[in-house]
Amino acid sequence: MSQAIIGVEKLNLAYKKVPAVQDVSFSVSAGEILAVIGQNGSGKTSTVECIEGLRKPDSGLIQVFGKDPWLCRREVYKEMGVQLQETEYPLKIRVEEQCRLFASFYERPADWNLLLTQMGLEDKRKCPIPKLSGGEKQRLSILLSLMGRPKLLVLDELTTGLDPEVRQNMWISFENIRKSGVAIVMVSHYLDEVEALADKILYLEGGKQQFFGTQQEFREYVKGRVPKDEWGENFSLEKLYLMIAPKTTGLSMEGIL
Amino acid sequence: MRQFAMICNIEFRLFVRDFFSFFFALVFPVLMLLLFGGIFGNAPVYDGADMGIMDVTVPAYAVMVTGVTGLMSLPLTLSGYKEKKIYKRFDATPVGKKNIISAQILINFVMTLVGISILLAAGKILYHIQINGDFLSICVGIFLSIGTMFSIGFFLTAIGRDLKSTNMLCYLIYFVMLFLSGATMPDQMFSHTMKKLSSYLPMTHAVDLMQGIFSGDSLILHKRELLILGILAMVCTSVGAVLYRRKDWT
Repeated sequence: MSQAIIGVEKLNLAYKKVPAVQDVSFSVSAGEILAVIGQNGSGKTSTVECIEGLRKPDSGLIQVFGKDPWLCRREVYKEMGVQLQETEYPLKIRVEEQCRLFASFYERPADWNLLLTQMGLEDKRKCPIPKLSGGEKQRLSILLSLMGRPKLLVLDELTTGLDPEVRQNMWISFENIRKSGVAIVMVSHYLDEVEALADKILYLEGGKQQFFGTQQEFREYVKGRVPKDEWGENFSLEKLYLMIAPKTTGLSMEGIL
Repeated sequence: MRQFAMICNIEFRLFVRDFFSFFFALVFPVLMLLLFGGIFGNAPVYDGADMGIMDVTVPAYAVMVTGVTGLMSLPLTLSGYKEKKIYKRFDATPVGKKNIISAQILINFVMTLVGISILLAAGKILYHIQINGDFLSICVGIFLSIGTMFSIGFFLTAIGRDLKSTNMLCYLIYFVMLFLSGATMPDQMFSHTMKKLSSYLPMTHAVDLMQGIFSGDSLILHKRELLILGILAMVCTSVGAVLYRRKDWT
């Protein structure tokens, strides 16, 4: 049994009395990838921000490396790297300055010069960050999350804005990172990514936990919720998800024409 | 400490790269000095006066420098970092946002001292201004002026809803104080109403304090200004801190 890095029990969080996360419980072990999935506004980011110690839960127990991340944030961040859903940088800061700054925060920082090369940002070292493209900013954000050689990575929308080739490379990279024993929590809307990487899935809807378990268990969970004639054994994770996710209406041409 | 030094290093570079902060804190006051010095020189303030125009203008411009950093540069940096969630990203590191806020205050403080030093050097070299006050009193005057302007700036950040509204508040307060406090125009030129209005402005008291101390007055003579500025600094800092904490950081 591998060591539990994150333990969450009955997590509850509300914004101005509107519940955002209700009774969510899960755990993540070393060398494991947990994908948090669900629609927009389902409580995914709120949940991971509680793990990150950036939001104080109303109730429930959160342990990261055996510590409360809200109370021991500084300690926890020595071993945790995060990529936030949205990150902006000071207007005139350059890529290498941001890297040097973040490297100074850790006792044993990663070799960021090497990471810049691996992330395809070598020729952008002197470039002010606001002038980077969306994909380049995303790659920089991932690089910064790795700066402290973390044992836990929390990645909120890991590959949003990346082109398909870079996405594939990221998948391989994170698979290798996981193999080294790092636990990863990833929030994603890309179910192909989740299918390729995740060991476990946490599925949220309306702030409530619908499912937590392995991909195989998720398959069984969906199977039990759809009519038999609609079921196919080889369905992709995306297809499975779409079968159970709340339906949204598309645009009608009436409204446009 | 190593981390804090690196944050200061980066924040210093960002300050220098920001045209507004750099120009208005370090260059503009000297340009003003050259402009008015070119017109009036250091002629006596009035016939038979011991003090020259530049002798009283330089301490007033020094307060202008504290206004640039305290009412513009610092609050707009604090508000911008907060709105763009840059502090939140720092909170997601072992260092946290307190270190970066401290570094920003320190850099603005140091740059204010640099701006004032350049101004004093220019006044001394070009117009041979008299600085009759003792070193300690001058330091008290400068530090208190900086402290008060920074506190007001912090308070404006705390009450501003977002960067845009903080920006508007800062511009409004800064320019009103700049033109009505005697920092740029001598208050002898003001009408009665303007003088009355001016007497309510913190920058007016900072200008009076600095001009008095530079001319050789003892601190005791300016206890009213010291009291007003000191109380204002404490109130703005403490109320600002409470309001700032209440803001949603995430």
